[in-house]
Amino acid sequence: MKIKSLNTNCADDSLLWSRLRTGDEKAFSVLFTKYYEHLVRYGNSFSNHAEKVQDCIQDVFADLWLYKHSLSDNANVKAYLLSSVRKRIARLQERDHIFSKITSTDSIEFLFDFSIEHKLIIDESTADKVNQLNILINFLPSRQKEALYLRYHQGLSVEQIADMLDVNYQSANNLLHRALLNLRKEWNANIPLLLLLSSSIL
Amino acid sequence: MQKRNKYTEIEDFLADESFQSWVRTKADLENWEEWTLENSMRAKLVEEARLWILAMKIPENNLHSSIIQTALVATWTKIEENEASTKKEIKLWNNNWLKSVAAVLVFGLLGSWTYSHLFIPNNSTQIYNELIHENNNEGLVEQTNNSNKPQIITLSDGSSVLLQPKSKLSYPKIFVGNERRVYLSGEGFFEISKNPKKPFLVFANEIVTKVVGTSFRISAFSNEPNVEILVRTGKVKVQSNEMVLSFNKKEEITLLPNEALRFTRKSSTFDKITDITKDQTLIHSVRTIEQLSFDFTDIPVSQIFKTIEQAYLVNIEFPKDKLKDCHLTTSLSDQPLPEKLKIICKALGNNTSYEMNGNQIIINSDGCNY
Repeated sequence: MKIKSLNTNCADDSLLWSRLRTGDEKAFSVLFTKYYEHLVRYGNSFSNHAEKVQDCIQDVFADLWLYKHSLSDNANVKAYLLSSVRKRIARLQERDHIFSKITSTDSIEFLFDFSIEHKLIIDESTADKVNQLNILINFLPSRQKEALYLRYHQGLSVEQIADMLDVNYQSANNLLHRALLNLRKEWNANIPLLLLLSSSIL
Repeated sequence: MQKRNKYTEIEDFLADESFQSWVRTKADLENWEEWTLENSMRAKLVEEARLWILAMKIPENNLHSSIIQTALVATWTKIEENEASTKKEIKLWNNNWLKSVAAVLVFGLLGSWTYSHLFIPNNSTQIYNELIHENNNEGLVEQTNNSNKPQIITLSDGSSVLLQPKSKLSYPKIFVGNERRVYLSGEGFFEISKNPKKPFLVFANEIVTKVVGTSFRISAFSNEPNVEILVRTGKVKVQSNEMVLSFNKKEEITLLPNEALRFTRKSSTFDKITDITKDQTLIHSVRTIEQLSFDFTDIPVSQIFKTIEQAYLVNIEFPKDKLKDCHLTTSLSDQPLPEKLKIICKALGNNTSYEMNGNQIIINSDGCNY
């Protein structure tokens, strides 16, 4: 059932998208309202300047309207928007970096930290495990973290993630797979080390 | 065979929306619990996947909808600015471009009387608030005149509205789509920039006024018994909002210059007034702007600016010395304020331009070029 509703969601999106392409301002408003917050959260993962991030997102939407006639007809709306926001922020940081001498232009860093679903945890042993796992996840390289976020929170496919992060399919798959594989190994083996880590952080 | 029976990796579970929502919200629409308990290997995987989800929380939605609306309006402004700059470029290429398009499309307009379907039927007295509410998601801007003087509002299409005290107007920051729609409560004098491609619709309580390019006054105070429309130039069409709802297009009333229409709320009837000089109510309510003539024959520019100042209650600053010998012959009656200023600037010469900020207008000029 849930899967069905997910599909209709996509159908809604592509309907909105095609209406947008013909200049339907209502479709535009609906898409904006639907995705603005997602995009703000994603954008904030790259930058501490909330205002600049919102500015970027609004620019992305403005361009969407201005160039609506040249949009491709079968885009995945969510992936398109996330990717556009990412590119825009990268460009902005690149520009800022020219003046501040930090030259790594290609990579903008995903600084987001996952938190814990405390409300859903009742027993202590689960709480401990989840705590440890959470710390490990947040210690992952930023690209792996971003891949996890896009895959499991935004529901993007591996192809879409590869596209966004500008790597080939296999690398994207590796990013995701490695994140999980390494973590599970560490998680199961290194409980003492983990405890050390967690106590030094907490 | 169910897809999930083939799951062998944590990844499979994490990517399953239904599984995620079961863990997060306990909404077990697909009997995950039962399915898990069928098999102990499976239970182990599920438990681990569950821990992953618990350890990877992202903050919940907490942006207030008003913030999103504000952002939406800001985005339309950006679009407007962008479109304005592209339009300027087009004009540089070909000054007559818009005019020729307009001329062709006048004929196409008659057939495009299609806004009816956008309305939700069954309410004969939809008032301003409800109308606004219905269209709220388009990011309307509301301007209320609480002062005791009329206020000028310039719309994104170059039209201008002189809003009388105790009146309010809601309009989109930028007009997009096939129509220009605004919502009025109270009284306003409208001067609409010509664009046959995009008819201009004023929703004023029970009535809808549709125009292409013209000037007219609408008085629709919710605490008064009548709604009045008086036309100065051009041609307007009026329908009751009720008629719009029932798709009845025949009841449309056309008004020509110096004709007026009164809608009596009590009886829901229309009265067309063909001779406005004989109607006492209308005579007494004529506003400054409707009395002033904008036909100028060899008149000093300073005098023309003075007339505009009186009509629209604005202040115009201009280089008096440089323009002291400039005279113009022009007819501006049918033009909204921005258009009037544009025509004057153009007539004066290439180095003349204007800036408008609220009711402050600044003319920059090196003098007239003749």
